[in-house]
Amino acid sequence: MTLDDLTRTSGEWLRGAGPESDIVMCSRIRLARNLADFPFTNRASRNEKAEIEGHFKSALENAGIEAGYFDVNGMSNLDRQFLLERQLISNEMSTGEGPRGVAVTPKENIAIMVNEEDHLRIQYMLSGFRLPQVWDEITALDDQLEDDIAYAYSSSLGYLTACPTNVGTGIRVGVMVHLPGLVANKEIDKVFRALQKINLAVRGFYGEGSQAFGDFYQISNQQTLGKSEEELIKILTDVVPQVLQYERKARQDLITGRRQHLHDQVSRAYGVLKTAQTISSEETMFLLSSVRMGINLGLIDDLSIAVVNELFIQTQPAHLQKLRGSELGVEERNVARASYLRSRLTNGRPVEDG
Amino acid sequence: MICQRCHNEASVHLTERVDGERRELHLCVDCAREGALRSPDSPPDLGLESVVQGLILQHVGGLVGELAELACPDCGTRYMDYWSDGRLGCPQDYRVFTKGLLPSIQRYQGATRHVGKTARLRPAAVHRLRLRSQLREAVAREDYEEAARLRDQIRLKDKHA
Repeated sequence: MTLDDLTRTSGEWLRGAGPESDIVMCSRIRLARNLADFPFTNRASRNEKAEIEGHFKSALENAGIEAGYFDVNGMSNLDRQFLLERQLISNEMSTGEGPRGVAVTPKENIAIMVNEEDHLRIQYMLSGFRLPQVWDEITALDDQLEDDIAYAYSSSLGYLTACPTNVGTGIRVGVMVHLPGLVANKEIDKVFRALQKINLAVRGFYGEGSQAFGDFYQISNQQTLGKSEEELIKILTDVVPQVLQYERKARQDLITGRRQHLHDQVSRAYGVLKTAQTISSEETMFLLSSVRMGINLGLIDDLSIAVVNELFIQTQPAHLQKLRGSELGVEERNVARASYLRSRLTNGRPVEDG
Repeated sequence: MICQRCHNEASVHLTERVDGERRELHLCVDCAREGALRSPDSPPDLGLESVVQGLILQHVGGLVGELAELACPDCGTRYMDYWSDGRLGCPQDYRVFTKGLLPSIQRYQGATRHVGKTARLRPAAVHRLRLRSQLREAVAREDYEEAARLRDQIRLKDKHA
């Protein structure tokens, strides 16, 4: 599997399948793991990082997991940006140094970063609201890797991580939710404050410090020690349905109160995306968010959620440049983005399966 | 803005320019207080890190004596290094710096005892960590004979892992 193969497919987590997928784009769990016999990444020498990479690759092979390994160290900035846009690597991995990379399965459910803040950051994503299923998958994968890797672990503190904020279970349990209704009725900050009070973090589409993007937010646990993985998952599976209920109510209020106004707004957004000749990334996200909500409310009936989900990723700068096969300046990208949107939205064709 | 040490909301922000490069430190009130970081009136000729370390040393040093200057024998990380960048150097640091770490873990995590999935026991791994640290030292002093011997030992232990 090469990076070019990825440009022609899209991750399973964008399919718009699974429970509550009108609001929950995907469920994701990440495990932080370190090799017991190496210093943490920030203290490891180049040789040691290369050894860690080697150990991981053989563990992956022995586990029989079909995955491509992308060497982030030897990669162009454009390719790093491409993986970042796809949610397969973090900003820290992209800007890091020394031997490092990411293993990705063809459907992109699994992405394992090597030599990020921790030696291994194992990620499992599924579309829709399916955290218990994601946990079953990722814990099995973790066990398989452990056949060949000695994890840094203490009986009192659990899995040992480079930063004590991840120690214990090393788990980050999260959902990516689309909340245009709560943004529109300005209740979103109230919901976030309530979540923060119960120790849940709210981040933007691209994680820590990233701006909210197309009304997408990630809700995840902060505590990693003193509660089991199942307990931490249960907090999310208990709380997220309440957020979904607020969002559904906000959408209902919008459609009952000002149906015509909303229908007009959604149709105009769709119209602009289908016909624009040049369009910025920000405007695209803003309009796609409107269209996505419009589909869910039955105001648009000739477009699938999966296509809209894919467009959020595929209209990002590095994706456009990979599709075009050349580096493009801002103006050229805006033209390429508009052209790509026109072709996808007039044919409505989904990209081929991963 | 998030605290660089514990990921709470940061409310103390320090910025300085060293050789034209902008450096920042963001802390929440608790972490700033723990580091005795009351006023950011740093002397302009000192690096931000050394100013912060000086302040921490005054405070932490007074509280727990040698902890402030304590270093891990396996990776060389000092407790002070952890304080300035929020990251530990190797798994053994949790044991070496227990006294200093547990209060901040308790504050951030609300707990100090792991519950949940357990890892398999691999006692040989800790020995390999020690051997690797000796290997780094041997390479640093260009003692390649010793380095080769240590590499063989690590390989042997790898086989029996």
